[in-house]
Amino acid sequence: MSAALIHLSSLGFAWPGQPELLDIDTFTLQRGESLFLKGPSGSGKTTLLGLLGGVQKPNRGSIRLLDQDLSTLSAGARDRFRVDHTGYIFQQFNLLPFLSVRENVELPCHFSKLRSSRAVQRHGSVAKASSALLAHLGLQQPALLERRAGELSIGQQQRVAAARALIGQPELVIADEPTSALDADAREAFLELLFAECREAGSSLLFVSHDQSLARLFDRSLSLAELNRATRLAEI
Amino acid sequence: MYLLRLALASLGNRRFTALLTVFAIALSVCLLLAVERVRTEARASFANTISGTDLIVGARSGSVNLLLYSVFRIGNATNNIRWDSFEHFAEHRQVKWAIPISLGDSHRGYRVMGTSPAYFQHFRYARSQALQLSSGRAFADDPFEVVLGAEVADALHYSLGSELVLAHGVATISLVKHDDKPFKVVGILKRTGTPVDRTLHISLAGMEALHVDWQNGMPARGAAKVSVEQARSMELKPKQITAVLLGLNSKIATFSLQREINEFRGEPLLAILPGVALQELWSLMGTAEKALFVVSLFVVLTGLIGMLTAILTSLNERRREMAILRSVGARPWHIASLLIVEAFALALAGVLLGLLLLYVSIAGVQGYVQSHYGLYLPLNLPTRYEWTLLGAILSAALLMGCVPAWRAYRQSLADGLSIRL
Repeated sequence: MSAALIHLSSLGFAWPGQPELLDIDTFTLQRGESLFLKGPSGSGKTTLLGLLGGVQKPNRGSIRLLDQDLSTLSAGARDRFRVDHTGYIFQQFNLLPFLSVRENVELPCHFSKLRSSRAVQRHGSVAKASSALLAHLGLQQPALLERRAGELSIGQQQRVAAARALIGQPELVIADEPTSALDADAREAFLELLFAECREAGSSLLFVSHDQSLARLFDRSLSLAELNRATRLAEI
Repeated sequence: MYLLRLALASLGNRRFTALLTVFAIALSVCLLLAVERVRTEARASFANTISGTDLIVGARSGSVNLLLYSVFRIGNATNNIRWDSFEHFAEHRQVKWAIPISLGDSHRGYRVMGTSPAYFQHFRYARSQALQLSSGRAFADDPFEVVLGAEVADALHYSLGSELVLAHGVATISLVKHDDKPFKVVGILKRTGTPVDRTLHISLAGMEALHVDWQNGMPARGAAKVSVEQARSMELKPKQITAVLLGLNSKIATFSLQREINEFRGEPLLAILPGVALQELWSLMGTAEKALFVVSLFVVLTGLIGMLTAILTSLNERRREMAILRSVGARPWHIASLLIVEAFALALAGVLLGLLLLYVSIAGVQGYVQSHYGLYLPLNLPTRYEWTLLGAILSAALLMGCVPAWRAYRQSLADGLSIRL
């Protein structure tokens, strides 16, 4: 097994009837690595995340996640593969507002046996795993766990989303602008917690944002605009 | 199972629209079942109005017309039967019993029927049930005695011993009253749910006494008047009656006797089989009944379409919910099943609430409907047919749920994990 968690090679993607949006020669993310990917809107960021999640298939080239070529899997298998190995944190409104905080955190365990069994292995039960994760992220009051997720502040909601991404220790956590709704102090505090938890779980972190000031906190930083030859060509 | 939890929680999040949808379905289901029950009961009580009678005989007219005035007390006879014709057939060797019926008078909108004691003995309704008195006795020798149907006694607050005056003719407001010869209530019948409840029964002698001094369809004046006492001492033998109910010794003889009566040389007569005439009459009313049923089916369809609309409009605002579910591992078919479960849950709640509404309203109006329309609406569990209807509604809801499910399926494939505001 190679050390690379994600490996893209000569990847090309275009939406039907549109010019090529993504053209990436190679891209690698190591296991346990935290990577800052700078992506302004329109740089193909959302599409790249869709490809990594196996929601779309590339037109050419290959996406290997954990040495598995995603394009050889069926749509259903890709969905399963995604939830088994990837946790997601989005910009905001990450949670299902009508479920409790605990239920939101435990959602991936209902769709992935692998993550559920890992959570049980490590913490004894899914419920204990979610309590432990939330406590690490600063949400330890038991009453809070049973509250509806919609009643929490944005900052709390993002921490719940992080707990959900991390439950069952997926190999990869993809965060898409998770801090853009937070103020500057909260941003760094949130990132510190996220880093600590990713280290604890042994997960790689792919962090996509347009906020360059955060880049210094990561192991490595890349710009999608430079990586993507399609946009470079368009700019010329 | 977890999908059910998710679907219910999501519905709970939209509880106002969900409740409205459930309520619309519930009302339509309640309406459908109520129409169905009234229909069934109307048909049953219709068929129950007369039983055990093999032939109804009247002056020659139409069979439905004869049935209407002799059994349902609706409309009038075009002609009468002579008393000797009645005697002729009452003594026929095939005839077990004969009930003479004489109509034409009324009391505050209720029909008065002159008959013989044979009526109380042989008349049957529903499943061969005999008439029973709830109080008092049948009329006896005195001509001025009356036995009331249950509804007449209830509605007009008569009890045993009350005196009442009959009116000539059958209009609700009659100008000519037989006020010189009042009748005394001697008996009140138990409720039957048939036109008997709305009838005042007097003896043929009483009927004759009312009209003994009439000349050319007008009451007598002055010295020609016959008083109550004089009437009692007279021999009051009817000269003509309106109809006859016949019971035969053997059912096999029905058709031959019917032919014999229809070909009777004494006067033009008509004999009908009550069952056949009832069928004929019901086929006339059946159209209205079917129309009512079809209308209520469409109301249910409207309720379900309302549900479909509510779910479809919610889809767009729930793209975020779908995308989050996709990001935590839900596959497109999970999303589709979620919507089918939702449609089914709404319909099921609607059906259950509809049943509850039905039972509450039946319990509420049961007494009223029985006393005013003679319809007994039972509070029993749904019949097999009703279960079938409910099952069909739920299946229709499942089928309709496939429409938003398909759209959400397509949508979640296209949207993937991207959340659009």
